[in-house]
Parts: sequence; structure tokens; C-alpha cells
Amino acid sequence: MPEPTVLVTDLAFGLLLGCVFAVIAHGLNLIWGVAKVVNVAHGEFIMLGAYGAYFLNLWFGFNPLLSAPVDAAIGLGVGVLFYFGFLHRELRGKESIGLQSEMVTLVSTFGLALLIGNLALLLFSPNFVGIPWSPGFVRVGFLQLPLGALYVGVASVAIIALSHVFLSRTYLGNAIRAYSQDIPATQLMGINPTSVAAIGTALGFSITMAGGALLSVWLPTGIHPTMAALYAPISFVIVVLGGPGKMWGSLVGGISLAVIIDVGQAFVGLSLATAIAFLTLIPILLFRPEGILR
Amino acid sequence: MKLPKLPVYGPSLWGLGGSLLLLGGVAPWIPVFPLIILVNLLIFAALAYSLNLITGLTGYVNFGHVVFMAVGAYSLGYSVETLRWHPLGGVALGALTALVVSLGIGAVTLRFRGVYFAIASLVTPLAGLNIVLVLPALDDGQGIVLNPAFEPLSWFYTIWIIIAAEVGLTYWITHGRLGYGIRAIKSDEDAAKSLGVNAPHLKLFLFALSGLFAGAAGGVYAWTTSGVFPYAAFDLTFSLLMLAMIVIGGMGTLLGPMIGAVIVNLLSRFFLAIFIGTQFIIIGLVVIVIALFIPEGIVGTLRKYVPELRRILE
Amino acid sequence: MAQPIEPETGAPSAPKTGRGKLIAIVIAVLLLVAVAAVAVYYLTQPTGPTGTIKVGFTIALTGRYTVEGTNSLNGIKTAANWINTHGGITVQGKVYNLSLDYYDDQSVNTNVVSLYPQIIEQDGSQFLLAPYSTALTTAAAQFADQYNRVMMSHGGAADTIWTGTTRRNLVEVLSPASVYLKGAVDWIHTNHPTDQIAVLHENDAFSTLASDRAIAYAQSLGMSVVYNQSYPTGATDLSPQLNAAMAAGADDLLGGGHFNDGLLIMNQLKTIWTPKFVSLLVAVTEPSFQAQLQATANNVTGPSQWESSVSYGPTLAQSLGLPWYGPTPAEFTQLYGTLNAGASPSYHSAEAGGALFVLAQAIAQANSLNTTDVRAALGNMHIMNFFGQFQIASSGLQIAHSMILVQWQAGTLKVVYPADVAQASVQYPYTGS
Repeated sequence: MPEPTVLVTDLAFGLLLGCVFAVIAHGLNLIWGVAKVVNVAHGEFIMLGAYGAYFLNLWFGFNPLLSAPVDAAIGLGVGVLFYFGFLHRELRGKESIGLQSEMVTLVSTFGLALLIGNLALLLFSPNFVGIPWSPGFVRVGFLQLPLGALYVGVASVAIIALSHVFLSRTYLGNAIRAYSQDIPATQLMGINPTSVAAIGTALGFSITMAGGALLSVWLPTGIHPTMAALYAPISFVIVVLGGPGKMWGSLVGGISLAVIIDVGQAFVGLSLATAIAFLTLIPILLFRPEGILR
Repeated sequence: MKLPKLPVYGPSLWGLGGSLLLLGGVAPWIPVFPLIILVNLLIFAALAYSLNLITGLTGYVNFGHVVFMAVGAYSLGYSVETLRWHPLGGVALGALTALVVSLGIGAVTLRFRGVYFAIASLVTPLAGLNIVLVLPALDDGQGIVLNPAFEPLSWFYTIWIIIAAEVGLTYWITHGRLGYGIRAIKSDEDAAKSLGVNAPHLKLFLFALSGLFAGAAGGVYAWTTSGVFPYAAFDLTFSLLMLAMIVIGGMGTLLGPMIGAVIVNLLSRFFLAIFIGTQFIIIGLVVIVIALFIPEGIVGTLRKYVPELRRILE
Repeated sequence: MAQPIEPETGAPSAPKTGRGKLIAIVIAVLLLVAVAAVAVYYLTQPTGPTGTIKVGFTIALTGRYTVEGTNSLNGIKTAANWINTHGGITVQGKVYNLSLDYYDDQSVNTNVVSLYPQIIEQDGSQFLLAPYSTALTTAAAQFADQYNRVMMSHGGAADTIWTGTTRRNLVEVLSPASVYLKGAVDWIHTNHPTDQIAVLHENDAFSTLASDRAIAYAQSLGMSVVYNQSYPTGATDLSPQLNAAMAAGADDLLGGGHFNDGLLIMNQLKTIWTPKFVSLLVAVTEPSFQAQLQATANNVTGPSQWESSVSYGPTLAQSLGLPWYGPTPAEFTQLYGTLNAGASPSYHSAEAGGALFVLAQAIAQANSLNTTDVRAALGNMHIMNFFGQFQIASSGLQIAHSMILVQWQAGTLKVVYPADVAQASVQYPYTGS
């Protein structure tokens, strides 16, 4: 039985990590909720966000907190491109997404993942890189928490909260929510479904890439094209845990996953804890497919 | 809805079966170097056919198919090293273990629809890898080093039997009554169920078969590489290659997996000497183009647009 | 023209132009495939006039091991360059040059299996090098005995490759994984035998073997190992483990795995724990380890197969009664830099290059190109070259090459153990700055 201080430290780190997990999954959550499609290449865009932060740091000295908004802006553009490239043909004019379209997006984004991931391997150095940003740490009792992790944790929650406010309080946000609920009704309200879907997708990508920038703080040495293969499944599991389309679900899912891994590893080792964390997907899908949140 | 009429006899089956028989007949006289390339190709083709049984026929995209291959590989490793069996026994054990594992996984994950199934399938090899890494019986993360006798001809005939069985089964499944049920599930599962198709049983049946053959192919893979190493066996690249093969060839078709395997595997040898590092970029591009514009793959699209070929190509 | 007998319902029929276009596309694709096949055939034809010894191998130029593989290839090319410009290899009075025949195996063992027969049968390679990594070396090894060619292993260190079975022609040049951390354990045992040890290692084949053997060795010396855990490749947060190791009362930390997790451990140690002695696999020897960690890297040790500052040389060889062949470490480093735009050789470069040198010397010593003769010569040799000592057991396992322990001291990497090749002594304890 591990010592209580160790467990509390693990819990604290798990909570901080969970916030960042949440924000990298949040973009996926948004797109899934709005366009009802799953982007298999999601991990690659997180990776691009992390690289964006890396290069911004290398060329201009930006720290990741500063890079996040820049990445978000790039993400908007990328999202629009993605929508018109991959989704428009499938979603245009349809009232709901069918199995055929689902498969098409799954397979085409799978191809996109291969393409982007391997282009990154070719263009970026195959070495692992990182951003040397370490603003120190803060002591809370016996806990020693890295300030960098604290900052990005707060930033992540802020992003999620902002998106919630946007979706519930602004006209555009409400239009997006309407689109996700009932497309014909949305059209009857005079809203152009294409614009709404495109903007929703763009927003999702911008959050994703910003999330990649924030994630880089946890990866002082771990930015590499293959990181996509780890963070894509993490994002998927988080969205399923929290419930697709539920904005706060990202936070619930992210924290749950990170805590299971960080606290669990004290008992069964990191490998087994990771396996268990991923496998929580199964009982959720079996018994509560709409996610933990109501 | 009206289902398209299936061809009564199968020129594709004759063609494929005939070439397989021919290969099997001349195999003893093929020199080692092309024989090994052929074995390699057939292993990937066998994997593609196994994925075709579930993803191609039912539309359930299985990203985690490599799990069965890894289970098969580890079964062979364990049986040859610890139990001291002949590798053929290992291949059979691989098929059996993978069958059991697929029944277990399928019973749970096949209840999920479309996207959820795909995500659950993505998670299984990651979980599987992490579990295998901590099992002392399988040497933890160290991997199993084997040195079975070098028998390319045995490799060939083993994988030959596996493929022949897969081709035969694929034909039988798509042309019998099962075929109608499967096409119904692929088009609209709820409607199919209301028509009396036992969707859960059918899906599980196909999933188990796909696992069985992937496990057998995984056993042959471990046999040819004379060892099993966790990160190599659970490499998601295999899943990606299998999926790319059936997407390019044509999902659910009889010839598709073989055509896809030939294109991906043989052409990719090109990239080992020239244009190093660009293989997967090209595969990714091709998959995107095919998925967006000709989702039926090569065989499917040819059938769709060239009516004369519909009778012979499937 | 007969109409099709069974028009399929529900299937769309494209206009004639669309169909024609499709047929054209298919024919174009088939033509492309044919051209590609012919191109591959011609581009991979065996070349080389007589008077050349062809050494064939696959190497990981892309994929998981791209960094190590590329470094290894550059080391091999440097070695070949030196040999060819310094008189080649003389066999039976005739002078031969070395030519290299290699392919990218993409770090995947299925490629290894399909490439080595081509390298041997089609390209006519007379001698072989193994690929990089234990997994791929295992897959390649079968061809050495099957085709009766000597194969030098420069990148596969797991002992199980040789101890699990009988190998005739596979010869190990580098130190086996089981002795990687032995030097560190020896030093701690000699100087601080009461230190308690924590082991935290990556879960791959090589790191697991190296760490497990280190633990067994330490315990056999009577030392106490209070923490032993592993983590999967790509783990991004090891703070829980490091916390636990500290809580278990450990003084020293051994383990790691590869470069990025080594860096991760050091970064996280900054805020969690300051062990008195740190020894990590692989990561420590990279220049970027110090560049990224700066002062945190000081006094961190790591095992290495080789460093360019190691003092193997003709004088040391003579004092040990061993024959010496080839360039000194400094000369190898210089030539490598000249051929690779000023880059420094990593130990992967050296182990691969060293393997080629050993092979060359064995051929010269056997005075024959025959596999049996050369393998016999390898079995009898006890020599030293820039990479270190070479002597194999009858199984092919390397028994004379020793791992060196390196340590970052005030920003410079120094060889600190064993004493006969060291430039400086071990600094203890690690202070984190």
C-alpha cells in the first residue's frame, strides 16, 4: 500500500494533467457533437499544435501560454479547410449523418492521419524535441507543484468554460447547438447549415491546436510526430467518458482518465494502469453510453 | 429495399483459386528469395482477408485488428519456446487463442455502433500491449527469441492453407443466405433486424472468424521473423496497412484484399531502396482519395462503372 | 452487340465517357506498376567488379529507430571509407575494396525477412551486418546460418539472441545488454556499498533485460534494491514513480530506456528528488542531453558502448598484449566529421563502424573469403580497435568489450570508468546542479 503522501501527490498531478487532457479532447468533443463525425487524425492535429508551440518558441521565444492563441488562430483556418475538404460532401444537404458517411469520414480521416503523421516525420526532425520553459514550482504543504502545469491547467479550464459560454450565450453558439440537434429546424430558423457546421468545425480545430500547445508543457522532451498515436486514443476515450457533445464532459473525462492513470500506477504500475484507464471505455459504453454526465 | 443480384457462379473464385493452386503446385521449385517475398505478401494478404471479413463485409471499421495478430504471434512464441511445440502447432494455437480473444472482445464491443466500435477497437491493442508488457509468462517486455528451423516452404504452405480457407469462406459467406443478411446489416442494421436477420450472432460469427485467421497469420509472422517482441507485434502500423489494403482493393469483395495486398506490399518494396520515407505518405494520400471519391475501392469501382466486368470481378 | 443478360438493379451506370476514362486510368496504373517493377529490378542489380568484397545489410533509415539506424549507417560508411583508403583488405595477395549493399528496413522485422534473401541471393553479398535493434537482429539471424554467411551484430545487444539457441555465424561486436549497468553497480558497490538502489526502466526488450540483470547482479553483491518498476515507451509523466522511489528510501537511481524518457526523468527529478547517484541508459551519451538540461545534467552518469574521448589506442593495446588495427578514436571521429558535415559520431556509429573493422581484420587474418575460415578467425581473435576490445565466446556472444561509464562534469562528457580508459574520476554525489 503506497504512502498517503505519495497518493495525494499522484492525485494532485492527475488533476493537473487531467485538465490538459480535457482541453485536447475538447475540440474533438465539439466536432463530434456538432458534425457528428469523428476525426481519426485528431492526434495529428494535437501534434501539430505542439510543434507550433515548439517552433514559435524556437523562432520568437514565445512560451506555450502565448503560443496557444496563435495556434488557435491557425486552427481556425485549418478547421475550415478540413470541413470543406472532408465533411462538406458528406454533410451537405443531409438531415442526419448515415452509416455510409460515417464510414467515409472514418476512412478518409484515417488516410489523413497517415499523411500528416508521416509528412511530419519527413519534415520535422525525427528527434524528440521540447520547449525549455520552466517557471518554477509552488509549495502547498508537502506538495511541490510545477507552476507550468498549474498555468496550463487553469488555461485549459478557462478555454472549456469560454466555449461553454460561447455555445450557450451567443447567437452563433446557439446556432451551432441548434444545428447539432436538428438540422431542418435550424434551416427553418434561417440559419445556413453549411456556415454553422464549418464554423463549429473550425472552432473545434482551433481548440485542438491550442490544446496541443498547452500539452507541450507536460512534454519537456516528448514532442515527436508519433505522439499522435498516444493522444488520439486518449482523446477518444475522454470524449466517450464525458459524453459526446457535453462541453463539461471533456473535463470530467479528462480528469477521470488522468487520475486513474496517476493514482492507479502507484498500485499496479504504469503499464497496467494505462491499460485499465483505456479499458474503462468498455463499461461506460455498455452501461452508460451517453457518458458520465447526465 | 431491393438487394442487388449476386453472380451465380464465380469466375473470380475460379481465377483466384486457380492461381493459388498453381502457386501451390510450383512452390517447391521456386528459389528461396522470391519464395520469401511471396510468403511475406501472402501473410499480409491473409491479414487483409481477415479484416475484410469484419470491416469489409459489415462496415464495422476495426482499427485494432493487430491485437489478434499479436495474440497469434505470442501464442506461437510461447508454444515454441516454453512448450517446445513444432511451429505448426504454434500457428494452430495462435488461431485458437485469437478466436477465444475475439469472441471475448466481440461479445462486448460489437454491441456498439459505428464510430463507438471504431474507437473501442482502437483502444484494444493499446490495452493489450500494456497488459502483455507486464506478464512474466511472456518474458515481460523482453520479447521471445526463437530459432526454429529455416523452412520457407513450410511457411509457404501454412499461409497458403490459411489464405485458401479465407478465400473459400469469404466466397461461401457472401454467396449464401448469410450474404444477404450481411449486406442487409451493412446497409441498415435496424431494418435488417426487423426483417429477422440475427445481427448480433452474425456479427460475432464474422468477428470471430476474422480473429481466427488473423491469429493464424500472426503465428506465421512470428515463425518467419523467428521471434516475438511486444512493440513490434502490437504495432498499429499493421492495422493501418491492413485497412489501407482493403480500402484500396475494395471492401467486402473477393479480389479486393489480394489486389490491395499486392499493391501496398509489392509497390512498397520500391520505397526501401528509393524515395525512402515516403511510403506511408503516398498510402495516406491514396486512401484519402479513394475514401472520398471512389469508396468502393478498385474492385468495387470497376464493378460499378464497367458493366461487363460485373460478371467476372467480385 | 448483345445486351448484358442480367442488368443489375440498383447499380448506377456511368456515361460512356466516364467508363472509358476509368479504363484508361486502370491501364495507366498497371503500366505504372510495370514500370516501377522494372525500375526496381534494374536499380537493384548487383554491381561491382571483382576485387570487391560486398557487405550487405538492412538498416533502419525510417521508422522507430531512424535516429539510431542513420547514425549506425554513417558509422559503417566511415569505416568503409577508412578501410578502402588505407590499403583495403588483402586476401591471398590480392587487394580488395569493401562495397556496401544496404536497404531501409523501416524498423520493421517483416522487411528484414524479405530483404536479406535478396541481399544474399540477388545482390551476391558475401558478408553481412545485422540490422539495428534486438528484434530486427533476431529476425535477420536465421539467414546467417541458412545461407552460411558471417553476420556481425552491431545493434542487437540482448543476450537472449545467443543464449536462447545455437548460432553458428552470428557474431556480437557490442557489449551485451546484461552488462550495460554492471559498471555503475560495480562502482557503487566499491565506493558506497550501503546505498539503496531504485530501478525505473522502460518496458522494451533491451531496457528490461539490462535493468533486470543489473538488479540481479546488485543483489548478488549483497546490495539492496528497494524499488523496481517499469513504464511503457512514450510515457509522459513519471513523477508518481519518482516520488515512490524516493519514498522507498532509495539513494541511487538506475534505469531509463531511451533518449526522451531519460530527459523526462531528469526534468521531473528537478522538482521531486535528488538521488546521490544517477545512471541512465542511452540518454546520457547524447550531446543534446546536456544542451537541454544544462546544469541539471552535471554528475549524471550513463553506460556507453563508446565515446570519442575514450582512450583506446595502440599503446593500451600493446600493454595488454593485443593487436591493434584501424584508426584511433580521435581519427575515426575526425573522419566521421569530414564525411558528415562536422557531426560527431554517436556510439551507434562507433559500434557499427567497429563491426566492419572487426570483420575486415578477420578476413585479412583468415586470408580467405570463405565463411568457415573467417568465422574461425573471429572465434580466435582477441584484438583491440577504436571501438574497444573484441573477443567472442563460442556462441558468438561478446565477452571482452567493456561498457564504459560516462559522466557529465561541468558541461563536458567524461569517461569515468573503468579506470584504464577513464579521463576523470566519478563525481559523487549528484546534486542537481
